Amino acid sequence: MAEEQKKEERKRRRHATEAAGKIGPMVKATIGGTVKAREEGKSIAYAFIVCSYDEIIRAMDIVPVWTENYAGICGAKRDATRFLEKAESLNFSRSLCTYALCGLGFDQWREDLDEMPPDAPWGGQAKPDFMLSSGQILCDPRNKWYQAVQQYMPDVPIYNVGLPWPLYEDDIKIAEVEDYYIKYIVEELRGLIKFLERQTGRKMDWDRLSELVDLGERTWSLIWETYELRRAVPAPMGTGDAMNTMVPMVFMLGTQEGYDFFLELNKELKDKIARKEGVVKDEKYRLLWGGGLPSWFALSDFNYFNSKGAVFPVETTYRMIEPIYRLNIPDTNDPIERLAWRWIRYWTYWYDKARKRPGSEPDVERLIQYIEDYQIDGIVMHEAFSCRTWHLGLIWQLNQLKKIYKPIPVLILGSNRQKKDEKRELPSLILESDIVDISSYSEVDTRNRIDAFIETLEQTKKNKV
Amino acid sequence: MTQYFAGVDIGSTMTKVVIMNKGIIASNIGPTGPEQRRLANKVMEKALKESDLPFEAITYVVATGYGRINVPFADKQITEISCHAKGVANFFPEAKTIIEVGGQDCKGIKINNGKPVDFVMNDKCAAGTGRFLEIIADALGIKIEEMGEIGLQGNNPAKISNICTVFAEQEVVARLAEGVSLNNLVAGIHESLANRVSRMVNRLHVAEEVIVTGGGAKNVGLVKALSDKLGYALAVPPEPLLTGAIGAALLGKDIADKALQDGVSLETKERSLKEIKIF
Repeated sequence: MAEEQKKEERKRRRHATEAAGKIGPMVKATIGGTVKAREEGKSIAYAFIVCSYDEIIRAMDIVPVWTENYAGICGAKRDATRFLEKAESLNFSRSLCTYALCGLGFDQWREDLDEMPPDAPWGGQAKPDFMLSSGQILCDPRNKWYQAVQQYMPDVPIYNVGLPWPLYEDDIKIAEVEDYYIKYIVEELRGLIKFLERQTGRKMDWDRLSELVDLGERTWSLIWETYELRRAVPAPMGTGDAMNTMVPMVFMLGTQEGYDFFLELNKELKDKIARKEGVVKDEKYRLLWGGGLPSWFALSDFNYFNSKGAVFPVETTYRMIEPIYRLNIPDTNDPIERLAWRWIRYWTYWYDKARKRPGSEPDVERLIQYIEDYQIDGIVMHEAFSCRTWHLGLIWQLNQLKKIYKPIPVLILGSNRQKKDEKRELPSLILESDIVDISSYSEVDTRNRIDAFIETLEQTKKNKV
Repeated sequence: MTQYFAGVDIGSTMTKVVIMNKGIIASNIGPTGPEQRRLANKVMEKALKESDLPFEAITYVVATGYGRINVPFADKQITEISCHAKGVANFFPEAKTIIEVGGQDCKGIKINNGKPVDFVMNDKCAAGTGRFLEIIADALGIKIEEMGEIGLQGNNPAKISNICTVFAEQEVVARLAEGVSLNNLVAGIHESLANRVSRMVNRLHVAEEVIVTGGGAKNVGLVKALSDKLGYALAVPPEPLLTGAIGAALLGKDIADKALQDGVSLETKERSLKEIKIF
């Protein structure tokens, strides 16, 4: 047993920033907090991140249980298999979203026992009073998961929030359709508030909601500014850490604790940049994590990249913010309208750029911008077999990127101070596994791929020289 | 003094060694067992015997393949991606795409001047690998070496819809019972494998010249099916199993040449082929 513990300790991921190192205990306390909240009779909601209702539930003192996060915790602790198997024994297919499967297996088990499953990771997730689903227009399990779990909790009601946005077409004028979307989303969110008022027996404090929306917007801008610091060479923080710092970004939006976390991280990164302290001592390759949720049980792979001199100064995954001032949100005192505008303008943020490059798309433009801003040498993506939402688009994005952008034309300043074109090749690596299902993962194969990728990067650099 | 370089390629199914100076002077191929370290010694010993050289005469040893870390006498480990690129460029300087159909994996490598610029790998599933052919050959009661010629005789390849190796095996047996000829059945197997491999390799945007290596390259039926599917003529090196080991030896030579050019001493491991006793 002691030997096993030692092995686990050796595998634990190393953080580049002190701030990221604080996330584990923070999440543990949050999950423990849901169990305590239940004992104290507080209102508890099952919820999904990035659904525009963060400030609403905070303003109504509702305690969120982020069910995807809990599945991720089970995965990270390499203890998801028994919940996946439980779901499978309930006739759910193993090829469904494994976040949902893990949650379904856990909830059925908890309801069956009328207590937490034995040795539930970090004490287990508490039973909710109600569930707030939303598939946005991205993710069907987010619509169906809570319906499925109602089989085991028939007395727990659901509110499904419709959160659409206009899909990209290169000839569509967003301004012409935007108001329809805003009107719809505002109605959906007001409907949610009525639902929450009925469920909790409390009225919304609109002044408090306005304050929290304001705090949420300030947090977005602070996160954006903080993450932009990672452009520095050497990079002071990598994606491995960002997979931790996503917690205060998307699980604590609308809380002072979330805002304060990023103040602290901002200061830490500035200090590291001043000391020229990077994630690795000898930074050789700067990589873009171009999408896909990570394998939560294999975050130490980021350390493996680091051991080869490779860092990830930027990622598209869990960078769910843009600077508020660039979103041009119309003036309004209605906090619900502000939330709706923030939602629409976030999802359509890259549309204008995409329109200017034939064959491009918003997600591809975002990759291109990051490649240029962060001086990227290569792209890594993760195909999680159980996540259709990410998986389908990733390969397409990479193909489009290669078609319209590779070799990358880069304008550099020549010795005569004149701008000149340079062509830069951009190798890519696609990792294949899952988010929580460890049976899909082979450390040996994954690291073999990483080794080969590093050699490819090395050759590309030599070719450039 | 003549310099000799060794490349040791420990693949998932076969272990390959070459010893080179200006060309190949000895080579050996043996099955990879669970005891890779011990086997690496044995295969190396056989190659040395064939070349009539003592181990001390080898200037530099590079190990590659999945078992590369299990070669204690190697001076350096380099992945098979770089080694195949180098090895193929030795025979085909204009090569742009390599398809390696190995025993238990399959790779596509895009190269430029003998250096890898991009790659894709399938190491999750036996479908698309030599193991798929082995299992089907067993099910049909034929030798894997015979499959290529048998498949070439098929004029109406059977449709094999299962990509899972185990279920494809069942499907093949069922088709045989339905009266599908052996030639068409094997041709269908090659087509199925070619579909699987080409789907993966097409991610790289295949460009000519396209070279096939690995054990799969020895199967003429598979190479033809792949060529038909991809729409390119495919070339095969003289001994496609050895390409990775040759590349490893050549990369070892590059390392030695660079050390000489930079005026630094070449860092090597102790030249010893003692048997490892850890198993």
